[in-house]
Amino acid sequence: MCKDVNEYLAKLRKELEGSDTALIQDALSDAEGHLRMALEDALSEKPRLSEIEAMTSIIEKYGNPKEIASAYRAIESRTSPTLAVSRTTETRSSWARFFGVLAEPKAWGAFFYMLLSSLTGLVFGGWALIAGIISFSTLVFIIGIPIFGLFLLSIRGIALLEGRIVEALLGIRMPRRSLFLDRNLSWKDMFMALIKESYTWKAWLYLALQFPLGLIYSLGILLLFVFSLSFIGSPVLELVFHIPLDLFGDDVFTPVWFLPVVCAAGFFLLPLTFHLARWVGKVHGKYVKSMLVRA
Amino acid sequence: MSPFTDANKKFQKELNSGTAALVLLSILASADEPMYGYRIAKLMEVDEENVPMMKQGALYPVLRSLEGSGLLESHVDPSISGPPRRYYKITESGLEILKSWTQIWDQTKSFVDGILKGKADV
Repeated sequence: MCKDVNEYLAKLRKELEGSDTALIQDALSDAEGHLRMALEDALSEKPRLSEIEAMTSIIEKYGNPKEIASAYRAIESRTSPTLAVSRTTETRSSWARFFGVLAEPKAWGAFFYMLLSSLTGLVFGGWALIAGIISFSTLVFIIGIPIFGLFLLSIRGIALLEGRIVEALLGIRMPRRSLFLDRNLSWKDMFMALIKESYTWKAWLYLALQFPLGLIYSLGILLLFVFSLSFIGSPVLELVFHIPLDLFGDDVFTPVWFLPVVCAAGFFLLPLTFHLARWVGKVHGKYVKSMLVRA
Repeated sequence: MSPFTDANKKFQKELNSGTAALVLLSILASADEPMYGYRIAKLMEVDEENVPMMKQGALYPVLRSLEGSGLLESHVDPSISGPPRRYYKITESGLEILKSWTQIWDQTKSFVDGILKGKADV
């Protein structure tokens, strides 16, 4: 039997070994929140009760670590992230697979994630860098300690939000519950816990790096997308509307005999762009998971 | 200890896996305001008599799964006395599906009751 909340959490973490790290973080967060609230209620209702006695009765109702781990695994296996790919056997031809990417929600999700990442990179990364420097520089004064602590808390909140965007658009399972600090700790211990936890710094680093990375993602994917569409539309643009292709500032009228080739290149470049987006989404998903999941 | 303890637990678990979502939707549909997991669990504790219908810890993944399906929506509020709380509220589609699931439940219940009482035409 577990004598306190921390021991219960350690056992639950052990039972969940091998599961998705985001699921472990959610399960631990749910359990910690519930058990601490229940313990507080139990001890305020019956002050003479020892913590071990209270925990025994609480765990009886909440479920032991083994039961809870099994409940999380069972439900998780039935609910995958929105855009997660089903593991069905691929029976389409190579051509169908190449062009079929345009009908895949996951490729579109990754495409929109890359487009959006310049905005989120700018806002989240800008906050991580600018507010980080300002709040860090206030540490020379006593008042700077709570300011820097609040900044680090905001980083964890933003990291959770970024995780939700990643899960919605890239279909990668990310934590759905925020991490919290034990309210029984003193302000000083809370601040030290924030500083000592590697998750805080990994989240900060991730958000700061999103600033340049988001710009690269957005610009790259936007350029490829615009080129694809302008190549596809080049016969109509040039012959009907007399609009030349604008290649890096130079207006170029394509010879008429070459227009079908440019148009065909556009039809190839478009799915290629979405294959690239899907691949970047997959790689970014692994990267984000290694940075923004604590468990 | 009853010789059927394990079998009973397994049967209860199988029943729970189907009914937990219905129970949670129903509780949130009749709630006047959004509720957080611990409060829902306490409410179910009051309603139960002898055997707890399900372990309180198993409610949380069901709540999250219902939210993922768009049947519930949630927001997090900080709490003075403890960790931040996630408040759940039923959505329009949650209310619609609750009606349909309640009908299915009524049909299933009357079918099983009929069989158990030996009144069904089988």
